[in-house]
Amino acid sequence: MTLGKDDIGHHISQQYNQELENLRSHVLHMGGVVERQIADAISALEDGNTQLAASVVGGDLQVNALELNLDEECSRILARRQPAAGDLRLIFAVIKTVTDLERIGDQAERVARTVLELANVEPGRSRPTMRHMGDLARRLLNKALDAFARMDVAAALEVEREDLAVDKEYEAILRQLVTYMMEDPRTITWALNLVWAARALERIGDHSKNIAEYVIYLVQGKDVRHVSIEERERQVQGVVSGQPPTV
Amino acid sequence: MAYDAQAVRRLVARGKQWDKVFVIVGLLCMMVGILTLALLLVGLIQDGAGRLNWQFFSHFPSRRAAQAGILSAIVGSSLVMLVTALAAIPLGIAAGVYLEEYAGRNWVTEIIEVNVTNLAGVPSIVYGLLALSLFVYGLDFGQSILSAGLTLALLILPVIIVSTREAIRAIPGTIREGAYALGATRWQTVRDHVVPYSTGGILTGVIIGLARAIGETAPVITIGALTFIAFLPPAPVSGEFPFLSFEWMRSPFTVMPIQMFNWLSRPQAAFQENAAAAGVVLVVMTLLMNAAAIWLRVRYRKRIKW
Amino acid sequence: MDMSAGVIGAQAADATMPPLKAEARELDFFYGELQALKSVSMPVAANRVTALIGPSGCGKSTFLRCFNRMHDLYDGSRYRGRIVFQPDGVNVLDRAVDPIEVRMRIGMVFQKPNPFPKSIFENVAYGLRVRGERSRRVVAEKVEQALRDASLWEEVSDRLDEMAFNLSGGQQQRLCIARALATEPELMLFDEPTSALDPIATANIEELIHRLKEKVTILIVTHNMQQAARVSDYTAFMYLGELVEFGDTNLIFTNPKSKRTEDYITGRYG
Repeated sequence: MTLGKDDIGHHISQQYNQELENLRSHVLHMGGVVERQIADAISALEDGNTQLAASVVGGDLQVNALELNLDEECSRILARRQPAAGDLRLIFAVIKTVTDLERIGDQAERVARTVLELANVEPGRSRPTMRHMGDLARRLLNKALDAFARMDVAAALEVEREDLAVDKEYEAILRQLVTYMMEDPRTITWALNLVWAARALERIGDHSKNIAEYVIYLVQGKDVRHVSIEERERQVQGVVSGQPPTV
Repeated sequence: MAYDAQAVRRLVARGKQWDKVFVIVGLLCMMVGILTLALLLVGLIQDGAGRLNWQFFSHFPSRRAAQAGILSAIVGSSLVMLVTALAAIPLGIAAGVYLEEYAGRNWVTEIIEVNVTNLAGVPSIVYGLLALSLFVYGLDFGQSILSAGLTLALLILPVIIVSTREAIRAIPGTIREGAYALGATRWQTVRDHVVPYSTGGILTGVIIGLARAIGETAPVITIGALTFIAFLPPAPVSGEFPFLSFEWMRSPFTVMPIQMFNWLSRPQAAFQENAAAAGVVLVVMTLLMNAAAIWLRVRYRKRIKW
Repeated sequence: MDMSAGVIGAQAADATMPPLKAEARELDFFYGELQALKSVSMPVAANRVTALIGPSGCGKSTFLRCFNRMHDLYDGSRYRGRIVFQPDGVNVLDRAVDPIEVRMRIGMVFQKPNPFPKSIFENVAYGLRVRGERSRRVVAEKVEQALRDASLWEEVSDRLDEMAFNLSGGQQQRLCIARALATEPELMLFDEPTSALDPIATANIEELIHRLKEKVTILIVTHNMQQAARVSDYTAFMYLGELVEFGDTNLIFTNPKSKRTEDYITGRYG
């Protein structure tokens, strides 16, 4: 059965409804915090703003604290409510999403760290801009969280497709930086830092894709991890149209 | 709102007062019944105790008060009770079991049920008339212990049927379902569960019925129990073939209440004493039977807890 | 296997279901004029535990009691449809079939423990006596085996002549289970067997049910969903006399197909 946005509540226990509602809003709040971290980290990277970078590094503490709180919240609901069916999938999806959000936070922090590193290094040639890729990654997370908020499978599927674009950008930047390194070995330290920053952004895209997979599991009960995009879409469309997929 | 201890205490005290009032009223009412009974007994004992000796129990009635005894009456009562029990118990239990376990819920059963309960209200002298025409003359049992026993059996049949049914109804349905679920037939369930578990209630009903029968005078007079019997019915067992005889059932006889009545209607004071003494014996017999019923009920209740 | 329309999830149960012990087909049941079961079709897998869940009055106990014709004991009940017993393929609801014979193949355990007011031994032996078993040795052996299977032997082996009422609630219920097992039934029906028991006694009996399914097929009615989730291989959700959904317990409790099932399982329901 497909879960809809309005299916989360309506338990006989009002308290339970409130607990689940709180859980969802806390997840979205953590998502918002992490999104801002990404935005700040990218800004700092483009502008070489070490102050902003430092605040991003410090801000990761908040992300970690949010993870701990959310895990505890989930644990409490599991112990006291013994959720089943859709409720169980929700808790499962939240726990997994929180883990991925925390990793995204770590990646943002890594980008910020490279900014601080780069401040001490001789800049090479004109640095390839990563603003576009960064924005893509950030928008990917935003879309995944939006899909979670609206329990929208179509949006989740789009996230999976758009992650490919992030991967492509990463490859392009990598090629560019490798060329620089080959041409002028003195720029290696500088270039490597940029590689790590780019890699972190690419990882953010992957983690956002994971979150989208959890949304599909939550809504339809189909575990689409590690499945090709075509197969995934086929299975999802099958559920939406009511026909069982031909296995 | 703060807790008003005073008001609560006053309320409780008033309630307790009413408690006390009711306890006193209840006690008084109870005492009325008990005191009356006690006075009667005391009166009886005062009048009759003097006559209670072995001679009283072993002598036949006689024109001389001092030599009169209740031997024939006691024996007669006992034999009549025996016949009554032998007739009423199987009939009553079987009828009760049939009505509860086998009969369907249709209008025929309802008619039977209504009639059974109504039988209990029929005046006992009417039973005597019925017995006269049916047993004494119709079936030619004569004016005998057999007729008296059968008459009284009819009298207490409703009591036994009703107590059998009540005892059976007390058995929870789950017990029956448990037996059926194991594949038992209806007969097996009745034989192994329904009847054994209701034995306590059935026995209680039987004894109460017999205790009532022992004191019934009207029907027994109607069918012709004599009042002056100076002999005992022939013994049921003898040394010669066929060893067991039923002659005693056809023999003339008397019973305790009739003997008492006979003595009471004589003018001599000595006979009044005899009557009182016989009354004491009768009361004691009845009380013993009731006590036995209570004891049985308690014993069976211990084994079976629903 | 022909499954009637309206049973969601039947396909999932289809190909991978083990052999069946029994199967209800288009079963209707009437208490006089009132129709309590509507066209119920459901498989009962052999040597598995199938649980029936649903809100009060949904007909799960009524359905259970059709299997051993318990409704025949009460006037005004009427069956329509079939319950087919394997491997002989006989329809146990057929009027030509003797309900006593049916009950000899099926055992039942009730909601409130109902031991007979007899000794422990006689309780367990009663089913054997009903079948005319006279040999004392055989009866004693089967009684012991049944008590062992019901995890009660250790506790009562030294007091078999005591009255069954002296046992605790949990022990009494296990005694009732032993009583039903003594006759080696093919199918065991449990009607909310632990609703009158404390959590520890409940856990003991659930463990017992798990071990029993090696020997016997089990159909259990429970109003405790977590119990159904713990104990059963297949779960059927009933509502207002209809079978709403039937399937593998794992699937029903993680991703049921019907919204009504989902609502009931997650507590959006009375």
